[in-house]
Amino acid sequence: MKLITATPWGVYSVWWRHFQVYRSTWLVNFLPPISEPIVYLLAFGYGLTPLVGDVEYLGQRVPYPQFLAAGMIAIGVLFQAFFEGAYSSFIRLNFQKTWQALLTAPLSFTEVFLGDWFWAATKGAIAGTLTGLVAVIAHLYDLSSLVLSLPLIVLGSLLFGAFGLLVAGVVNKVDQVNVPIFLIVIPMFTLSGTYFPRSTLPPLLESIANLLPLAALVDLLRWPMGLPPQWPLLLLWLLGWMVVMARLAALRIYPRLFS
Amino acid sequence: MADALSLTAYDLWKSYGDEAVVQGISFTLAPGEIVGLLGPNGAGKTTTVGMLFGTVIPTRGFVRFGPWQLPGQGQLARAQMGIVTQEDNLDPDFTVFNNLTHFAHHYRITGALARQRAGELLALVNLEHRADAQVDELSGGMKRRLVLARALLNNPKIVFLDEPTTGLDPDARQDFWRLVQQLKASGCGILLTTHYMDEAQRLCDRLLLLQRGKVIDEGSPSDLVARVIGREIAEVEGVAPDPLRDLAARQGAWYRAFGSGYLVSLPDADPDAMWQQIQAHRPTRLRRRPANLEDVFLRLTGSVLE
Repeated sequence: MKLITATPWGVYSVWWRHFQVYRSTWLVNFLPPISEPIVYLLAFGYGLTPLVGDVEYLGQRVPYPQFLAAGMIAIGVLFQAFFEGAYSSFIRLNFQKTWQALLTAPLSFTEVFLGDWFWAATKGAIAGTLTGLVAVIAHLYDLSSLVLSLPLIVLGSLLFGAFGLLVAGVVNKVDQVNVPIFLIVIPMFTLSGTYFPRSTLPPLLESIANLLPLAALVDLLRWPMGLPPQWPLLLLWLLGWMVVMARLAALRIYPRLFS
Repeated sequence: MADALSLTAYDLWKSYGDEAVVQGISFTLAPGEIVGLLGPNGAGKTTTVGMLFGTVIPTRGFVRFGPWQLPGQGQLARAQMGIVTQEDNLDPDFTVFNNLTHFAHHYRITGALARQRAGELLALVNLEHRADAQVDELSGGMKRRLVLARALLNNPKIVFLDEPTTGLDPDARQDFWRLVQQLKASGCGILLTTHYMDEAQRLCDRLLLLQRGKVIDEGSPSDLVARVIGREIAEVEGVAPDPLRDLAARQGAWYRAFGSGYLVSLPDADPDAMWQQIQAHRPTRLRRRPANLEDVFLRLTGSVLE
């Protein structure tokens, strides 16, 4: 693949196009990231707390809803960034031909790719932040902690947005997006220590779950309860995943546009 | 024109696997000129256009447009190009008006300037009354006109029209042709691909006839017709082939079986003499008409355009 120049304007202009679509239906777009965590927090937090009580996390006992809050933020990030990258980019690439149209303007592949990727990440970050605000209102996460967690939310959004784009570049039919959802996304979002500590899993499953990128993101987002001991490694782990996913996604999508 | 830019294609080749889709195409497009790539489906027209604006990477050869060279500087070159691709890729998420203002953003045309430019272009392509419509509500011809308007946002020096009127009804095609001629009059260079003989004849200053990725002949439509066929053609039905073929051979005329009858060119020097000799064979159907590009294509390639 040829390395083509990317200007900040070009990337911004592509991102801005996606934002204009989002803005025109913002009420509909704001609904899922707010309603989803509220439902989860109500259902699991209030429903399960009487059964679960406190959970053991990093050698201390924490109330279950508080444990759950960081998991919900991470799930908001995962779902919104991944679905935008996978479904919406696939549609823009194969049905609406938005990428092809953008490439008749003075935009490079790199600019269109980065614009799409950053837009998927933006949606993940919006969802993560809104979920965080719900948690703040429910006194499950500090506002100051949420502000300090924003870079983590952005990093996670970039990672899962890139994963979504990779899926968009790999599948040939929109239905096939379901395959990575059922094989990767759903196991990841249930097993990564989002709803329960991974230490309760059987050892083999726990070791596998520990390697999932969402596990690293959830652990890092729980920093107000205590930093995981190997946190710099976890950060690098997430960065590594992000770079690999983005690179693979670009390599898969490029040949669909240039021959 | 001080800021006029020419485009030159140097020996463009494109292969997919073992198949050479484009084989050594070279030409120059000057400002204010309409050059047509005329050929049947699969002749390599769209692949060639793709190489001219940068989405198809040539296996060999390159394109020069003003100070830029492609592949490599496609992004810079496209700032001065307008591209109407064959497939409709208007933005279904936006209204007609916003399709223009939002696309203008990519050229750094924003705000009031973008709205003004969008208004001008909608007036140019006669869509100002549909500014607030959704793209899905437009007819095929309106969509093509909107894609053309979008390609003109940046006042391009050169415009590519890849099969712009395919699928349009005759009225819509006439409307589109009028716009193309206006564009030419404004000094814009235009590259048009088509498999419609009448479109090529009507619009193009110069034609490259394409067959299986190669240029088999080129020239102005009238020159091509005069040189390859001559002025007139007789369409003959219901006669024995041998005497007709012998007659054509004696006169040095072109003869070819076509459909249920034959085509015979009438020599420019004395067409009436040949016409009378054909009449003498008492054909069941006989028609005399001006030669056209379809005949040229038939003579050069042995096949019809579509």
